[in-house]
Amino acid sequence: MVRLLAVIDRDLKKFRRNPVVLAMSVLMPIIYLVILGNSFQGKLTGLPVAVVNHDSGPQARRVIENLRAVAAGPETFSLSFMSDRKEAVQGVQGGRFKAALIIPPDYSRRATVGGRPELGLFLDNTDGISSENIRGLISAAVRAARNDYVPIRDPRDETTLRDIDLYPKVDYYQSLVPGVVIMAIFLGALTTGAFNLVMDRFLGIDESYLLTPLSKSHIVTGLIISGLMITTAISFFIFAVSMVITGIPLSRGVEKFIPLSIVIILTTLCLLSLMFVILGRIGHPRVVGILSGFLNVILFFPSGAVYPVASFPAWLRLFARINPEAYAVDALKSLLFKNAALVNVAGDIAFLFCFTAATLTIAILVFKRTL
Amino acid sequence: MERNRAISVNGISKRFGKVAAVDNVSFDVSEGEFFGFLGPNGAGKTTLIRMLTTLLRPSSGSAVVACCDVARDPAAVRREIGVVPQAMTSDLDLTGYENMDIYGRFYGLHSRERGERISHLLEMVGLTGRGHDLVATYSGGMRRRLEIARVLVHRPKILFLDEPTIGLDPQSRHVVWDFLGKLIGEDSMTIFLTTHYMEEAETLCSRVAIIDTGKIIALGSPDELKAGIPGNDIITLTVTEVTQAISGRLGELPFVHKMVIEETTLRAYVDYGARNLPALMDEVRHAGGTVLSATVHEQSLEDVFIHYTGKSIRDEEAKKVSFFIGAGIPQKLGR
Repeated sequence: MVRLLAVIDRDLKKFRRNPVVLAMSVLMPIIYLVILGNSFQGKLTGLPVAVVNHDSGPQARRVIENLRAVAAGPETFSLSFMSDRKEAVQGVQGGRFKAALIIPPDYSRRATVGGRPELGLFLDNTDGISSENIRGLISAAVRAARNDYVPIRDPRDETTLRDIDLYPKVDYYQSLVPGVVIMAIFLGALTTGAFNLVMDRFLGIDESYLLTPLSKSHIVTGLIISGLMITTAISFFIFAVSMVITGIPLSRGVEKFIPLSIVIILTTLCLLSLMFVILGRIGHPRVVGILSGFLNVILFFPSGAVYPVASFPAWLRLFARINPEAYAVDALKSLLFKNAALVNVAGDIAFLFCFTAATLTIAILVFKRTL
Repeated sequence: MERNRAISVNGISKRFGKVAAVDNVSFDVSEGEFFGFLGPNGAGKTTLIRMLTTLLRPSSGSAVVACCDVARDPAAVRREIGVVPQAMTSDLDLTGYENMDIYGRFYGLHSRERGERISHLLEMVGLTGRGHDLVATYSGGMRRRLEIARVLVHRPKILFLDEPTIGLDPQSRHVVWDFLGKLIGEDSMTIFLTTHYMEEAETLCSRVAIIDTGKIIALGSPDELKAGIPGNDIITLTVTEVTQAISGRLGELPFVHKMVIEETTLRAYVDYGARNLPALMDEVRHAGGTVLSATVHEQSLEDVFIHYTGKSIRDEEAKKVSFFIGAGIPQKLGR
């Protein structure tokens, strides 16, 4: 026990004396939350759209009025009216506009007499999200223009779907919080535990403890425990800060403190042990640098932290089934947003526990006690 | 007399691919002995010490250190030894005291015992006033002294030192030698040291093994080793050109036992060098040569190395340092 505590103490002392690492470990996930939250949830605004109207009829006017309403309301478009069709299309090709809408001279007449009215829409489809938004909004504007009256009451035969939210509303920003906590755990697990072993090896100071009576399990579990203490503390801090930033009531975290702590601690142990299996024999920090990006992508994105697992293709869903971060995200989301009890996330916890036990055993077995 | 053997090595070898870093080496070290391994970088010293301290598994052969086999019971060996590796291994982010304290805890020592031992050792190595400073603020010499003190916390039976003074200035080197000298006097510890400094081996070691290209080429006390080569002095002459006539005439002189020629340098193993130097220089002149410089010195372990290998240990260092920086390069490649 004295030996194990010495390994832990050594690691914690070294970490405390590197304030830059400490600050980075805290700041990075929060910056991630701010950037990811704002870059994905933000509405599209000010997309430049050229409009060439060769028709002076009522239908064309209505379409343009509807487009102006979008430009003035949600401000998705900024419209530029032009007279030359060719110039408008060249504007799209040159990147000046995201789209060009061409209204031909006989549009209103065809719309009135039922003669297959057509509009031309040239889209910069290299920007898929913008072009799909524009396509959808213009289609809606055109459809709306054809309804020349507002019904006084709903038609009697139309089914009304009354949707009921089972849980309190979770906006996109808030839905990222479990992912941000998992990100904090991942970064913590990557920069403590096995990474310290890699650095000791790289600096040649691993000999100082390989030459002592410390056993494999002293070294591996000691480094994992110190990594657990550091990573858990950082993760809880980030959890609290993320809740404040996104407006999730802190009381919810306090109510669920025990099950949340169990999930966070188990996830940390799980990732620290996994890192030991992967990095246990690496001797250069550059390898860790290369692997970190790869591991983050393969563990974080298929975890459902950013996008639902249901949207993945079959093979990726299969991977998500063995990805510990997917279970951790699921457990955190359930506890935080669905008011779930510990028993409701027992499956996730059982998986994390088994994964940790397996990887920790492998980590100790494959750890090389010689040079 | 098995009981008195601290280290017993029997035909030990280590291969990295096709390269034999240590090739069938055998020797014994008695309890309380200060034993030295002398040889140039790349000779196999670090590989040998790593095998004896359980960091590398031998490819063949066996070694018993402190009554335990290094391959069969490495944990038991590690409990009995203290090792100062060639590279500095103390944690820069910790203080000198913390480095020693954590090391003591690795050996399961209790708090009071550690405190007393660390204070005593810090005083011994002259670091009492700096014990609570971060190691990052230490000079190279201070750090090396700390590392030696650190491995003594648990009172090892056998102390291994791999090039303990490499990279130190002459003054710091003498401080380390003085400290090691004290250790021999105060504790009946067995010390195994590797070095490529002849003076270090000659000053400290009661017995020296000379190693080159993984093999022991000579073994004995410094005096025995020197007695094993002809003459008692070395005259080194630098001439404009070493001709057949010069080497022939010098070789016929009765007081010259052996000559080694390296480019324009003639190294003669002679009796009574100071007395015979004028005669030697006269012979060079009579053979048509011009003496540019001449030195006389008593035989050293460097001369023993030259006698057995035909090359200077210093030249070997110069050749290898340009390719390998630091210790254990072949071992790292072999990881």
